[in-house]
Parts: sequence; C-alpha cells; structure tokens
Amino acid sequence: MLQPLSASRWNFAAAAHLLNRAGFGGPPVEIEKLAALGPDGAVSFLLDYEKIPDATSNPEWAKPDPERMRQIREVNQHGTPEEKKKLQQAEQQLQRQHIMELRGWWLNRMARGPRPLQEKMVLFWHGHFATSVEKVRSAYYMWRQNELFRRLATGNWQQLLLDAGKDPAMLVWLDQAQSNKQHPNENFAREVMELFALGEGHYTEKDIAEGARALTGWSLERSDEKFVYRPFIHDNGEKTFLGRTGNLDGDDVIAQIVAQPQAARFITAKLWNYFAGQYPNDELNTALAAVFRANGNNFKPFLRVMFRSEEFYSASVVRNQVKSPVQWLVGSVRVLECELPPTLISWGMTRQLGQDLFAPPNVKGWDGGVTWITTNTLLTRYNDAESLVQGTLPPLAAGDFARKAGGGGGEKVMKALQRVRMGGVEVEKILTPEERADKASIVASLERRLLQAPLKGEQEQALREFLDSKTRLNNADILTAIRLMMSTPAYQVT
Amino acid sequence: MKNEITLQTRREFLRSTVLGSALSWTVPAFLANTLTALQSDAADSATQIVTGKDSTILVVLQMAGGNDGINTVVPYANDFYHKARPRIGLAGEKVIKLNDDIGFNAALSGFKTLYDTGNLAVVQGVGYPNPNRSHFRSTEIWQTASASDRIEKYGWLGRYFDNACAGADPTVGVAIGSQLPQAFFARQPNGICLNNPQNYRFMSDGHPKPGQVDMTEESYKKLNELEMSSAMPDDNNSGGSIGSLAAGMPMQGGSAVDFISRTALDAQMSSEKVREIAARVQTQATYPGSQLGTSLKLVAKLIGGGLPTRVYYVSQGGYDTHTNQIGTQARLLQDLGDATKAFVEDMKAQGNMQRVLVMTFSEFGRRVSENANGGTDHGAAAPMFIVGNKVKAGLLGKYPSLAPSDLYQGDIKYNVDFRNVYAAVLENWLKTKSAPILGKQFEPLPVV
Repeated sequence: MLQPLSASRWNFAAAAHLLNRAGFGGPPVEIEKLAALGPDGAVSFLLDYEKIPDATSNPEWAKPDPERMRQIREVNQHGTPEEKKKLQQAEQQLQRQHIMELRGWWLNRMARGPRPLQEKMVLFWHGHFATSVEKVRSAYYMWRQNELFRRLATGNWQQLLLDAGKDPAMLVWLDQAQSNKQHPNENFAREVMELFALGEGHYTEKDIAEGARALTGWSLERSDEKFVYRPFIHDNGEKTFLGRTGNLDGDDVIAQIVAQPQAARFITAKLWNYFAGQYPNDELNTALAAVFRANGNNFKPFLRVMFRSEEFYSASVVRNQVKSPVQWLVGSVRVLECELPPTLISWGMTRQLGQDLFAPPNVKGWDGGVTWITTNTLLTRYNDAESLVQGTLPPLAAGDFARKAGGGGGEKVMKALQRVRMGGVEVEKILTPEERADKASIVASLERRLLQAPLKGEQEQALREFLDSKTRLNNADILTAIRLMMSTPAYQVT
Repeated sequence: MKNEITLQTRREFLRSTVLGSALSWTVPAFLANTLTALQSDAADSATQIVTGKDSTILVVLQMAGGNDGINTVVPYANDFYHKARPRIGLAGEKVIKLNDDIGFNAALSGFKTLYDTGNLAVVQGVGYPNPNRSHFRSTEIWQTASASDRIEKYGWLGRYFDNACAGADPTVGVAIGSQLPQAFFARQPNGICLNNPQNYRFMSDGHPKPGQVDMTEESYKKLNELEMSSAMPDDNNSGGSIGSLAAGMPMQGGSAVDFISRTALDAQMSSEKVREIAARVQTQATYPGSQLGTSLKLVAKLIGGGLPTRVYYVSQGGYDTHTNQIGTQARLLQDLGDATKAFVEDMKAQGNMQRVLVMTFSEFGRRVSENANGGTDHGAAAPMFIVGNKVKAGLLGKYPSLAPSDLYQGDIKYNVDFRNVYAAVLENWLKTKSAPILGKQFEPLPVV
C-alpha cells in the first residue's frame, strides 16, 4: 500500500489532478510546469511552500485593540442603557465590515497567493475546527485562528490541537472561557474528542466529565484578547482521563488524546477524504495512520506520502469529488484567468451555494460531498458561471444581500452593489487565434482547460452544434460556449 | 398508447428508471433509449398513482434553534413556572388564555384564530428518550426519526419517498430553501429545493427571435440530459463503497457525476413547471414579509397550481434564545402564527384545505429555569402544532409537570414520543404503513 506512483504514469492529467486537489487547480500553463517537475518535484513544489515567499500583508485592523476593549468595558459597566445599545450597534457594524474584508482577504490568498496547498490546508482546518463568527463575534479572533491554521497548516497534530484549543476564537466558540472548577463546561472536552480528534465511540461520558475538569483554568483574558491560564479556577483534584490518572491539566488532556491509536486513524481518514474525495477503507486507513505515527504525528511527511501514492491517482479517485463552493469559485477564476469578483459578490456566491466562510452551520462543519448539490444550488452554479464569464451580477445576489443586511442596511448594500464592476473572461487570454479559427480546437482546448478530460461524445456533439449554429463565430459566442461547459455535471466535480 | 416519445417523458424515464436504479452506470445510452419507448407509459402511470391530484399533502414546518415551548404554550397559573422564571415568566395578562391553567404566548394571535376555528391541535410535551441537547444531533434525531443512540443515514421523509413514491415526479418533495433538509435524504434521491421561483432556472443569454430556437437553452438541455458516466472501474485501492463519498448524504451507486446528473435532470424537469405556476397562480391572503411568510406563500401557489407534491418543507430560524428571549421569541411566534394563518386562509379559498396538513417541530424545547441573561438554555420536550381540517383540535395530552422533583436534569419529561406523531401522519394522513419507515411500529397518536 501507498507505493509511490511510478514516473511513467506521471503526465499532464496526473499533474492536473494533484493541482486540483492539493490546490485550487490552475490554467494549462501551470499544470504543464508542474508536470515538467516530475512527481517528486511537483509534490515538493506544493508542499515545501516555506521556500516561496508570501508577501501578503495583514488587514490593518488585525491586531489587539486594548483601548477599544477598555471603552467597551467602561460603557458596559457604567454606561446608560442607551449608550450600551449605541455601542453594541457600532461594534456589530464594525465586526460585520471586518469579517467581510477578511473573507475577501482569504479568498484572494486562495485564488492568487503563491502557496495553494497551505491555503487548501487552512480551508481544511477551518472546516475541521468549524468555528463561526456568529458566536465569536470578533473578526480579529477569526483572523487569529485563520493565521494559526496557516502557521501550523502542515505541522504537528498535538501542537495544533493545543494551540487551537487555547486560541481565543475556540475559547469563546466552545465555551471554555466560561469554564471553572465549580462549573466545568463540557463543550470543548466533548467536541475535541467527538469531532476534532477521536470520533464517537472512542471515549466515555466519564472521560468528557473528567476531561472538562482537567481543562479548567484555560481561559480568556478579554482585556488583552488572549489566552490566559488561571490556576485559581483549575480543579486540582485527581482525574482519570482515557485511562490516565493524576492531577491532569489541559495539556495532559490533549497529549492523552493524541496518544490514542484512534487519533491517527481519525485525522488521517478525514484528510484522505478531503483530498481523495472518499473515506479510506480499513486497510488503507491503517496504512495511512501508520505513516502518520511513524512520522511523529506530523502532517507534512504524511501528506508527501499521500500525494505520491498510487492510490491517490487511482481511477475511482480522479475526477470523482464534488467541488465545494469555495473550490468551485476559486478554481473557476484560476482556470478562466479572470479576477475574483468583488468580495460582496464572492461571498454572496459561496453563501448561496452553501459555504459561508467564517460561518459554518455548526461545530460539525460542512457535510460536503454530494450534499453540496441540490436542484437549487446546481442551477445557481450554472447561473453564477454566466456571471463569472460575462462579468455580470449574479441574479440572486441582490435579494440575498438585502435580506442578510436587513432593514436600513439593505439600502446601503444595494447602493454598494450598483458600484460593483466585474471583469469577466477575455477570450484572447484563453484561446490562441489558431484555436479560435477552428471549432473542434475550441472544444478540445476548453475541455483541457476546464475539465482536463473530454466530455462524453453526445455532449461534445451538443457543444459543436451550438458553435455550428453561429454563422460568424464571435467572442461572445465563445464566452457562451465556456459558460455552457461550466453548466454541466462534469464541471461540478474535480 | 403514445407512439411518439416526447423529450419530457424521455427525461422522466431516464431519471426514474435508469439513473435511479443500481444499474445506473452499466446501462448504455442506446439501450436506455430503446427501453424508453417501451416503458414511458408505464413510468407515467406509476407517477400518477402516488401523485394524483387529490392526494393529501403534508407541510413540515421546522422551527430551528430550539423553541422554548414553555413560553409558547404557557402554564401561566403555575407557581413552579413563575419561581423558575422570575424575569421572563409570563403572567396571566400577558397570555391568550385557553383555560384556567394554560394560554398561548400573546404573540400567537394567529394560532388562536386557528384554535377557535377547530383547525389547530396542540400536542403537549413531545420529545424522545435520552434527549440530546446538541442542536445538530437533536435535529438529526428529529430529521431521521432515529433513537437517540443510533445514527441513521436517511431522513424519515426520504424513507417515505423510497417506500411509497418510487418512480414519482421529482417534485414529490419540495423544500423551500437552498439546502435539502436531512429529512429528505433517501436511498433514491428525491425532492427538489428552491427558494426563489424567478431564479429557479437556467438563465440563457440567447435572445432568439420569435419562432427561433434559443440555442444556448437547447444546448444546456442536451448537455444536462445525456451525461452518464461509464462503469466505474473497480479498483480496491481506495476505499469503501462510493456510499461513503460524502459524510452527509449517502449515494446508492455510481459516481459523483451520476448523482449530479440526476439532480440536473430533476432541476430541468421541475424548473419550467414551478416557474409557470408561481407566475400564474395568485394568492389572496396577506403574509408577513418574513422568510417564512414568503416560503408559505410560495407553497400555497404551488399547491394551487397543482404540483404533484406530497411533502413540502419550510423552515424558520432564530429560536436559540440564550439571551433576552422575550422580544426575540415574540417576533418569531407572531411571524409563525400570522404566516400559518394566512396559509390556511389561502388553502380554504383554493378549496384545498381538506388536503393539507401542517406539522411543526423544533429540535428541542428549553430549560424550565431561565438563565442569567434573560434567556433559556437547551432543554428537552416541547409542544408540536398540527394544523388542518381533520385534526383533533384543541390541547392534546397533559402539560408536563414543572415540579422540580419531576424534572430530569432541569428539563420537563416528554409524554409523547415524536415518532408516535410521525406514525399518525404517515398512516392516517399520507396513508402508508409507518413501520417500514420508522423502523418499528409506533402507535399512531390519535391527532389526525
């Protein structure tokens, strides 16, 4: 199991598959570059991303703001009800504006950043530790968590669990900030085992209660917006957690979880599903977990084995994963070589399609896979394709914004929408003059760019008929052909 | 016997038979075409049986977030109640009294009208054994009708579609929204999703002159009608069944593309009809401008237009009232009552009231004691509302005891298992056996 793919099987299609899954895909020229590197070189190019400088700067508000925190505390303690309400509204508006900026900031990193695999892993961790701004209510905390995922994207599992658990967003999201020895809150203790690291059936209710006691003391210092350990609310009694007994604390809890053989099985299965599009069978999962443990529970060497393995390139894996809404949008602008739509539009699209960044539906994250596809979201994908290709506003956006912004805010958003300009696709960038002159070449070239695989014969025929129906083929017709190819079941998978 | 195979019946056939069967990726297209000729009539008649025009219709209304049942159907004269809720307890003058002990939250004026006309049943104290206080787990339990310690893949309505509506039109189940509710998850994917009928279509940029074919539209149809993958290669390298492709909805067989192709056919088949009805049928009642109001208004149109749907699904969110509950819940309940009342008026005006049953549910009720923030935390049992012409109207069952010694971990205990209500809806309303759908026989609650 997990033998490296032989160099003889490495080609354009294999390189495309790697770039689609370990990143967000790309135009033919990028795939060719990757193909030329050979399998080891290609995987290393994506995985050893530290060698590639990333000059993205942070949003200017992405830092602690002790003065603002002090003001908030002041008003909350001594202000009149009116002052409190005013502050609350101002704060809400500010956070809403920042989180929207943050969505654009991140989507741009995915679409244009130099380290696609790092961002793909950040997206994985966001879905895994599924934290929502709806409860956290601080764009700064959400950004911090996002940066934490970036810093440890391919790092060590125990370190990541520890740092994620102690990060403000998680302390608020799963109520650890409210826990103390008198009233231990079990939320984080439960989810860290059920959803983050072990899965149901690999711990007892007693482990949850004892784990929650051990975790007391982990808290949030709201004034300087960071983690604090408070010894006076920590339960110093003896606990027994997953078979280990003693005066355990939060660090012991995480260490004991990661020490379980199940921990390696759990996270490697989830990663395999994220990248390969399906859960591994028992045998494969055992092999994956063994690689992970043999490499000290570090993700980078594990991912290297995975992306090099024959299994990853097997016929049931390739082009059999439903694109997530983010993959669909980011991947589309990459292969179409057009601009990412303005943040409001990009957000509206992914949200409509079921993936609202920084606001997953619950702590379980997005179900993914075929649940992305309903009659409604499928038609929306087809119509959003029109919007991307032609540079027109997507049909549902306006109404959705108005509803989300609500009341008076709606008008403002509508005004902002009227100023929105979208790029659309430039045919000259995508097809050479020679290709444009020949209808068969147009179809073949678009297939290579958009699907990296041929359509079914009848579908090719349908596209040909479309092109043939135009007496003088112009760029507008080619744009329609691109949109039509994106309006197929085949384009929804990768 | 029709000699000519229309596109519509051909698609119908592809969808219900070829893509729907386990053979989906092994039947070559030419064979499917031949079979179409033989079976299109059969497929049509099968559709008629389960979706005939006079069939009964169920509207499921989800109150998402966990509605506080205790401040909805209020035991206003109960001392335990006021002791547990000194800040948010509702006194007699703040409720619409139903009797000397119990009243509706004052915001439920819409429900009071339905109560008075004998169209509303209030099933008190509905829950299930070993209640779970997690939103997603408890929602899952209600959606799949599973025991609380069992994970079910399919939804209870999905199992109804599988068991009783095989071969039906895709609009047999209609969910208003963009996500398919887990209750619809089925072995044979069934049911459509939409939120805005105007946009529920492929938008073409072709502007054909009168009499001309819109080539963009035509091409879209062809591209989405024919795609079926060839047989999946059987390599054992990676992974269990294709069924595990997604964590959520399981797939019966075939590839991701097959699943999407089937959905694409459903979208194509339903889009024209849905838009035609939504544009043609007018409603008369006044609905609130809320999401729920808009959803129920659309359902009223679709029913009035004769869509062959057995189950509609609408939802209303925001019931997770941990802080400052009073105002938030009042706004939601007002919306709930007013929207439902308007819907009933329309059903009566259309002459469809005897065909329609509305059933509400929420994943859980809330704690008896209020919390420190003027709200309530996740609890257990709560009332369900059932609206229709043939319901056993009034307050049904007993109000669960609020005496501290009768509570389980601060929650009221359920009197009625929700699966007894589901059994009643399935057997007495949708006229199908409930045991194959609910996993075992639950005694139908005499409510409809």
